[in-house]
Amino acid sequence: MSCEKVQTMAKPRNNEINRRAFLKNAAAGAAVLAAPPIAPAKHPAPERGATLPPAMSSEAEVGAPSPAEVLTADRTGSDFMVDVIKTLGIEYICSNPGSSFRGLHESVINYGGNKNPEFITCLHEESSVGMAHGYAKIAGKPLGVFAHGTVGLQHAAMAVYNAYCDFVPVYIIGGNIIDGTKRMPPVEWSHSVQDAAAMLRDYTKWDELPTSLPQFAESAVRAYKISMTPPMMPVLLIADAELQENPISPDAKMRIPSLALAAPPQGDSGAVAEAARMLAAAENPVLIVDRAARTAAGVPLLVELAETLQAAVVDMGGRMNFPTRHPLNQTGRGNEEIANADVILGLELNDFWGSVNSFRDQMERTSRPITKPGAKLISISSTGLFFKSNYQNFQRYSEVDLDMAADAQATLPSLIEAVKKQLEASRKSALQARGARLAAARLQTLLKAREAATYAWDASPISTARLCAELWSQIKDEDWSLVSTVGFVSGWPLKLWNIDKYYQFIGGSGGYGIGYGAPSAVGAALANREHGRLSVNIQCDGDLMYAPGVLWTAAHHRIPLLTVMHNNRAYHQEVMQVQIMADRHSRGIDRAKIGTAIDNPGIDYAKLAQGLGLYAEGPISDPKDLAPALHRALEVVKRGEPALVDIHTQPR
Amino acid sequence: MSENNNPSNIFRLAVIFFFVVILAALVVVRTSEARISRGQKQSSGASTGNPQNGKLVFENMGCNKCHGSEGEGVSGSGQNTGVPRIASTSLTLPAFLELVRKPKGQMPPFGIQRVSDAELTDVYALLQTLKPVTARETSIPANMKNGERLFVSYGCYECHGYLGQGSSRTGGSRLGPPQIPLSAFVSYVREPTGQMPPYTAKAASNEELAEIYDFLKSIPPPPPLKTIPLLNQ
Repeated sequence: MSCEKVQTMAKPRNNEINRRAFLKNAAAGAAVLAAPPIAPAKHPAPERGATLPPAMSSEAEVGAPSPAEVLTADRTGSDFMVDVIKTLGIEYICSNPGSSFRGLHESVINYGGNKNPEFITCLHEESSVGMAHGYAKIAGKPLGVFAHGTVGLQHAAMAVYNAYCDFVPVYIIGGNIIDGTKRMPPVEWSHSVQDAAAMLRDYTKWDELPTSLPQFAESAVRAYKISMTPPMMPVLLIADAELQENPISPDAKMRIPSLALAAPPQGDSGAVAEAARMLAAAENPVLIVDRAARTAAGVPLLVELAETLQAAVVDMGGRMNFPTRHPLNQTGRGNEEIANADVILGLELNDFWGSVNSFRDQMERTSRPITKPGAKLISISSTGLFFKSNYQNFQRYSEVDLDMAADAQATLPSLIEAVKKQLEASRKSALQARGARLAAARLQTLLKAREAATYAWDASPISTARLCAELWSQIKDEDWSLVSTVGFVSGWPLKLWNIDKYYQFIGGSGGYGIGYGAPSAVGAALANREHGRLSVNIQCDGDLMYAPGVLWTAAHHRIPLLTVMHNNRAYHQEVMQVQIMADRHSRGIDRAKIGTAIDNPGIDYAKLAQGLGLYAEGPISDPKDLAPALHRALEVVKRGEPALVDIHTQPR
Repeated sequence: MSENNNPSNIFRLAVIFFFVVILAALVVVRTSEARISRGQKQSSGASTGNPQNGKLVFENMGCNKCHGSEGEGVSGSGQNTGVPRIASTSLTLPAFLELVRKPKGQMPPFGIQRVSDAELTDVYALLQTLKPVTARETSIPANMKNGERLFVSYGCYECHGYLGQGSSRTGGSRLGPPQIPLSAFVSYVREPTGQMPPYTAKAASNEELAEIYDFLKSIPPPPPLKTIPLLNQ
C-alpha cells in the first residue's frame, strides 16, 4: 500500500518530480516499455523557480506535446494526498468541482476507489462547508471539503464563519496554482491567489501552504489534530496544483506521520476545588449550559453534576446538553432561576454576559443585570484558550468571579468528584427540597407550554406549535434526529418533545449566518445514515433559497432526510427589524414587508424540490392536511430517500 | 446707669422680640406645612385618602397597565381569566390592602417596600371616585374586520402571530383574546416597557388601536388542552 507508514523519513525533494521534467524523462524511457519505473534519485526534480529548458518552455507556450513526450503517469502527488486523507479517517469529501484540485478529485474517485473518502457532489461551496458543519456535530469528526481557488474559497467563506463561531471542526483543502508560469490563461490566473488562506484566516484556527508532499503529510495530520482539539474549529490546507499533479515514483515510500489527538484541557485542580466549594455551599446554584456536551458522553456527566447538586439547569441550546424532560431542566423559566441564583456556573457558554443581563433595543439601548447583587459567576470554557481579534463573535466581556480556560466536558468528572466531597450530609434535606421545587416548576412549565400551544391551534397559516406537535407525533417512536435549529419555530421542539439523546438535537449555526440550515441538515443526515436514524429538518424558506441545490445533493447521494418547510414567506427577522425602524420614526408602518417578503409570487417549494429530484408535496395551509402529508413523506424517507413537505406557517 | 434702662435699648429689644416671635411663628407654620406635606405623601388620612395622589401612585405602580386607566378591567373567557374591574371597588379598605399585599390569581404582590399603606389608601380613594365604566364605553366605535386588517398591515402579527398567540422567540406576548382593558392596551402600545417598538398616535390612531383591540377580543378561546391528544404525549 502506498499509504504504508515507514519509519524512515524519505528524502522529500527526491521523491517529487516536476511534472514536465518527469514527462521528459519518461519520454526518454518510453522506448523500452518494460523498463522499471524511473527512480526518483536518478532524476531529481529541479528546484521551484529554476529555469526550464528552452524547448520545454516553448512546448508549454504552444501547448503542443513533443512527439517524444509521455503524457501519462501512474502515480501523482494527489494519490499520496489521498493516502494521507485516508489515514485521517475522513469518510466524505463534499465539493463543488474545480480545476485547481482536479488532481485530488481524480485521485479520490479512482486511486482511492471513491470510498473513505467518497466524493459528495455539491452545487455550491457554501453547501459543502455547511454539510461538513452538520456532519461533524453528529459524527464527532470532520469531513473534508475541497474548494477551488479564489472563487471556491470565497463561496465557502460564510459557511466557514458559521462553523468557526459554532466551534465545529471542518477540514478544508483549497486548490491553488502558486507558480504563475504554470497557470493556463486566462481563467487560472483569475482563480489563483498569492495567499489563498488569507481569505479565511480570520475565522479558521490554522492554515498551511505545504510546498512538498512530505510537508503536506505533516501539515495534513497537524491540521486534523488542531481542528479536533478544543476549541474545535475549521482548518485550511492549500494544495498547490503542481504538487497534486506532479508524478511521483510508483514505488516511492512516502511517510505519513501518525496521529494522536490531543487530550482536551481540564480545569486547574485548585480552581475546580474552589468552584465545587462555591456550588456546594450555594442556596440556589444554576448551571447554564451551551456547548457543554462536546460528545454524547457529556450528557450523563451534566446530569450527574446537576443531580448531585440538585441544581437548576438552563440550556442555551448550542448542543443537546441536557434531557428536555429531566426534572432539573428549567430552560423554559431560565431567567427566573438565574435571577434567583447565588452561584451560576456557565459551561461552554458562548455569551455569558448576555445570559445574565437583559438588553433593551429602543432608541436608547440599555441593559441591566438580571442576577441579584452578590451572585457569583463561574465559567468553564475552552473558548478562552483561543482568540482572534477582527471578528467579534467572542461576545461582550463578562465579569466572572472564577474563570477556567478549559474544556467543560473534560473538567466535569473532577468537578463532580470535588462537589461530592464538598457537600455536607446535613444539607441533604435542603437539596431534596430544592430538587422537589424544581421538579414541580418544570412540570408547570411543560403544562404552560402545552397550553400556549393550544392558541392558534387550528389557525391557517399553520402555527409553529401545531407543526412541531404533528411532527413529533409521527417520529417519536422512531430513532429520530432533529438536524435543524429551532429558534425560528419559537423553540417548540425543546418545549414539547422528549429529547434525551445527544444526536437528537445539534444546536444552531453559530454565526447566525443564513444559509446554514439546509446544508447542515443534509450533512447531519449523511452522518445519521449509517446508523439508520430518521433525520428531520424544520427548514426556513429564506434559508433554503441561499443554496437550494443541496437538496439535489441529498437526492443524488440518497441521503434520507425529511425536510418540513417553515414557510413564512419572508425574511421574517428582517420584517421585524424594519418594522421597529418604521415605528420608531412613526412613518410607513405598513411597509415593512418591502424588501423582506418572499412572496408575489410565492415560491413553490414542493415544485422546487421535485425539480431537484425529491419527493415533495405542498404547500399545506390547512392544519388538518398536515398529518397525512407528513406520513406520506416519512414513508419515502424510511425507504432511504429525501422528501420535502412545504407548509405555510405563522411567522414564528 | 445701665444700658438696659436706656429707652432706645428697650425699643431695640422690643423690635428684636417682635421679629423673633414672627420668625418663630413662621417656623411653626412652615414646619406644620412640611409635616402636612410629608403626611400627604405618606398618608393623607387613615380612611379618606387623597385621590389625586392616588392617581399618581396608581400610574407609577403600573396598576393601569393591567386594570386600565379607569380601573375598568377586562372580562375573561376560556383559559383567559381576565382582569378584575376595580373602579368603585366594593372592598373595604382593609380588604383592599390585604388583597394588594397578598393577591390571588395572576396579580403580582405589592409589598410594603414598594408601596405604603398610606399610598394604597390614596389609591383606594381614587378608585372610589371612578365610575364603573365598561370597556365598551371607553372604546371608540370600532370595526372588528378593519382591526384584523390593521393587525396585519401594521405589523402586529409579526411578533404576536396572526391570531395574537404570541411567541417566545419574538418576545411578542399573547394578545388574543386580550387580557388587559383597552385603555391599558393603548397605554402600552404608546409607551411599551419591553422590546416592543412604540406606536405613536401619528403612526396609529386611538380609533385604529380600538379596532385592533376589538379584533383581538373577537378571537375565540383555544380548544381546551385536554381535548388535543397531540399535546398530551
